[in-house]
Amino acid sequence: MPIRLDPEGNEPVALFEFAGGFSGQRVLEIGCGDGRLTWLYADQAAHVVALDPNADDIALAVQNCPSHLRDRVEFRTGTIQEYESSETFDLALLSWSL
Amino acid sequence: MVHALEKIHQLLEPDGMLIDIHPTGDPPPIGVRIGQQTVIVGRMKETDDFVEYAQASDALAQVVRRGLFAVEREGTFEFVTHADSVSEWREYLAKEWKDAILDADVAAKAEELLSMPGPDRELILREQICIARLSR
Repeated sequence: MPIRLDPEGNEPVALFEFAGGFSGQRVLEIGCGDGRLTWLYADQAAHVVALDPNADDIALAVQNCPSHLRDRVEFRTGTIQEYESSETFDLALLSWSL
Repeated sequence: MVHALEKIHQLLEPDGMLIDIHPTGDPPPIGVRIGQQTVIVGRMKETDDFVEYAQASDALAQVVRRGLFAVEREGTFEFVTHADSVSEWREYLAKEWKDAILDADVAAKAEELLSMPGPDRELILREQICIARLSR
């Protein structure tokens, strides 16, 4: 059996409790990795930009992105300092990345 | 880290919110679960003694002092990782947690407990994670 990360589901419970939901939110996720957390909330969000400096992780996230989220989630390789956009966000999520 | 928080501040709407999730920086205990009981065999280490997590907390405190963000809520939760063997755990560390150190004596104790006959067994790592909600 492969490694199991948080099968108890403590992280999503805490995330939703603290964020108060993601409905209609424009979300900037910093340190998205392979999208482990992104998949938990992206179906509620209006738009998600998910950044990670690791190109392999971003490639995996793009590959694993569910079809119904492809027009909503934008994965980009890079750091927050490198990220340039005129878009502003309702919520920023630092996922184990500060 | 402070520069990253300043950039996030620029990219957030005036009433935007920041959620930060990062480990506490305490070396997490690693144990072997044997049925309903868990035997702690040691603690995970990192080459930098988890210093980056303390730095993350310091950077957050700094931007709060400067008034860029205000803490609305703070808490912790437990993030548990499960593995079936020490070799599987080593493979995971090599791929996903490159600065982790699993001491030889800790690995040996875990292997010994995992190889003994008896109820179902697995390797367990329990990390304490900080979560905070900050308003811009």
